[in-house]
Amino acid sequence: MFAIEEEELLLPDPIALDTSFVVEALIATQPLHGVCSPSSHSIFESGVSVATSELLRVELAEAAFAIALKERWAGQWRRQRTDGRSRPRAGRLLDHTLIRHDKMLGSLTHISIPLGDITTVATSFMTAYGLASYDAAHAASAIAAGAEAIVTIDTAFALLPSSMLMVYTDRSRVASCRGKRPR
Amino acid sequence: MATKQTNGRPDRLSPERLAELTHPPAYKTLEERRAALKQATEGFRVKVRVTPDMYGRR
Repeated sequence: MFAIEEEELLLPDPIALDTSFVVEALIATQPLHGVCSPSSHSIFESGVSVATSELLRVELAEAAFAIALKERWAGQWRRQRTDGRSRPRAGRLLDHTLIRHDKMLGSLTHISIPLGDITTVATSFMTAYGLASYDAAHAASAIAAGAEAIVTIDTAFALLPSSMLMVYTDRSRVASCRGKRPR
Repeated sequence: MATKQTNGRPDRLSPERLAELTHPPAYKTLEERRAALKQATEGFRVKVRVTPDMYGRR
């Protein structure tokens, strides 16, 4: 477990990026933007390659859609999925999000892992370690790409043994991650 | 499915498959790449907090 705020942090090559980190890095109003955006620049300056699951793009699209719903419906947004009035705003947010996704990953050497390459391993992570499906897909993608670590603010990745995948997260989550590691 | 397991740890994809899936930077110079990352990570403001359930996580 490593805190991404550490200035002397060594980054393995490649290193995997989880959606939770990318969301915080791209969206300036997110509470951890001030941590994740500088970390993305540190990754860039280190010269390492990054690995992502192709699920990342789909999750970002889902987030853009949900932002539009939540802006209009606040706490009721989950019930308003089919409200067509939110879709124009959702479309604009989606464009903004994916343009930034493309710029971020286009600035780096990027390994994009298709779901079809990792489904068997991902499902084994669900049964062996209790990971949720999306987390399992990102973890399996990281390992398939040869990444020794994943950058995330989702502590659930700590359910995997560190010998399998190290977790690089923000300082406030390090202790929580340590508590989740299998003994 | 190009992965297999060795001693309980899944292996990485084959070098040939990883080469297929690897994309070099989309910008020519280091400065262009740095500028693209800066543009990606600055100025995108929304009116709500994005929580993990908004992209399908628990």
